[in-house]
Amino acid sequence: MMRRGLTLTLIVLLAMVAFGVGVYARLASFKTRGVVAASPNAPLRVSPKFRLPGTMFLAQGGSIYRLQGGLFRQIATGNWTQPVLSPDHSQLVAVARFADESDLYLLDLNGNIIRQLTHNASRVVDFNHWSFYPRFSPDGQTLFYSWDPKNQDNLYRVDLVVYAMPLAGPQSRARAWTEPYFWTGGDVQPVPLRSGSLLYTKFDISDQTNQPYSRIWLTTRAGAVGKALTLPRDNCAQPALSPDETMLAMICTAGGQTGQLVVAPFNGTTLGPLRHLIDGQLCAAPAWSPDGTGLAYFAATGASGHFQLFYLAVPPAPSPSPSASTAASTSPKASATPSARPTPSPAPLVPIQVSYDLDFDATAAPAWSAG
Amino acid sequence: MAELPITTMVLVILGFVISGSLGAFAYFLPAFMTAFGATGQKSDIPVASATIVAATPTPAADAPFTVLLLGSDDDQKFDPDHVLTQSMILVRVEPAAKHVTMLSIPRDLWVPLSTGGSAKIDAAYAYGGPKAAIATVERDFHVHIDEYVWIGLRGLTRMIDLLGGVDVVTSNPVLDDFYPNDVDSRYPYGIKRVAVLPGPQHLNGKMALEYVRSRHSDLRGDFGRSFRQQQVLLALRAKTKYLSPADLPDLATVLNGEFKTSMELDRIRHLLPVARQVAPEAVTQIVLVGGYTSSEQIDGQYALVPIWARILPLVHQSFP
Repeated sequence: MMRRGLTLTLIVLLAMVAFGVGVYARLASFKTRGVVAASPNAPLRVSPKFRLPGTMFLAQGGSIYRLQGGLFRQIATGNWTQPVLSPDHSQLVAVARFADESDLYLLDLNGNIIRQLTHNASRVVDFNHWSFYPRFSPDGQTLFYSWDPKNQDNLYRVDLVVYAMPLAGPQSRARAWTEPYFWTGGDVQPVPLRSGSLLYTKFDISDQTNQPYSRIWLTTRAGAVGKALTLPRDNCAQPALSPDETMLAMICTAGGQTGQLVVAPFNGTTLGPLRHLIDGQLCAAPAWSPDGTGLAYFAATGASGHFQLFYLAVPPAPSPSPSASTAASTSPKASATPSARPTPSPAPLVPIQVSYDLDFDATAAPAWSAG
Repeated sequence: MAELPITTMVLVILGFVISGSLGAFAYFLPAFMTAFGATGQKSDIPVASATIVAATPTPAADAPFTVLLLGSDDDQKFDPDHVLTQSMILVRVEPAAKHVTMLSIPRDLWVPLSTGGSAKIDAAYAYGGPKAAIATVERDFHVHIDEYVWIGLRGLTRMIDLLGGVDVVTSNPVLDDFYPNDVDSRYPYGIKRVAVLPGPQHLNGKMALEYVRSRHSDLRGDFGRSFRQQQVLLALRAKTKYLSPADLPDLATVLNGEFKTSMELDRIRHLLPVARQVAPEAVTQIVLVGGYTSSEQIDGQYALVPIWARILPLVHQSFP
């Protein structure tokens, strides 16, 4: 009888301990941190929810992934970002980024290094250089990129300048194309045109607001002053040119904390009215589909805020002729909603979320080919 | 089966209640410990302000109040009790109007200190802790400060990492060839290079710190950094709206030793919903750039001399 009572007491005590542990575990289950700070998946572990045509190269967490036939494949690991395809789609150039410097490498489509193109490393910390935003010229012979020359008058000043070098090298033959505004961070995201001109993003600081802003800039030759294609108030950057060079996609922030996906017709020298495709969402890094009918881009989603891959079919512009103005003005903004609203297209645009639970590098636009 | 005596039943129920309470206590223990050590530091509030606080009844939950946010380099280079405040932001919270005003105070501002003499305002905290920092700002800016919050470099990075990073539209390429390599470094006097690329992106704690701390290659110097600090604060606010009380222990663990505030837990509890409710467009951001200061060399140091005739009217539009 006494033994039975002891057993019963022990069971009750164990149940009490279990209850205490249960309360602890239950409270822990209310944490939202697991949602807010969710670790992203590696793309290898997930399948995209929408199958994009062709082949796409994307960067996440220092790796380059190839998305083809609805499957991700990791082709390079380490410190890689900003992959771009050669015009014949046979090679890649990507940035290998380290603590104090970054370099451009020529890779094959399986991520094997063919050649190191720039040599920016130095043992002296402030003698290192950065190379970012590589882009092939349309003939594939020249490589454009942003690089930080040392300023002998003031070592503290570091502004990126767009350079062009022969793909066959060496880096010593690289030539500066742009002249950045001092102390702004400089010129980035070059897009060479078939005409030999260059589109890029130029940063400046407003005299009125003392805030930095960016404009899409066009220059016809190395060293030329060039001209702005967008207005300061629109704060546009990340130009992406359609394959036929008639449409320009970009991200405009208008000084706010949203990245609006915007397109405008382009005739080689001027931009037409800007059309807001996606407003009220944090969009980044647009890239045209190989047939020029749609755009891939990244956008922050959910509590984690990680950037996922989206696709949007772009309807033809209602009036495609570019205006004669130097800098295009914005059409009235679509209202800020989570879903896309075109302006002035009557039917609402619906972006398709291609990836979930990933964490793409939003400073590295996807590289997309038909093959 | 014999019925259990009522005393036994009561004891069993009591046992479960105690066990459950212990489980809850164990869960919130880190939060309690941090709360005990880091919140409600009323002794850090200067006597004048403390008197005002004590003399007035407990403020209503929706009464407006002013907080001084302080951010410090607290690496091995500094005596932990005498750190400079690299960031000083006055924040006016108006819960009823759901409006917030942020005013960044330049760290190089040359002002009379409450502890005596004149120096850059970032030294006030080093000489006399939060009390001196608050008294200096109150005296020089003619404002009343109700509360303060201090956070160290590591506390900021850990908090951002705990929240899984923040989404920020970085304003421009932020490049710095002489960025201090003093966080988690064996040689805190070293330098490293920093490049935060422009545009919308997801920043982890380290990148966010680099973005808000870099200043060498910005035309606006410390002012540019102030803009960026306010930007990341707003991004943090956006992220905290997803947090629940169950996240407090983790938050307390990462902030241990890197966070101090005069606010009581109750006020923090009231503040969290306000932080969620304030829309981004209802946040007024002020940086004293363009005509509010003049730069000079004082005692061999670069300093900003305040032009009070312009600063005070601006400050008093939002801060009583």
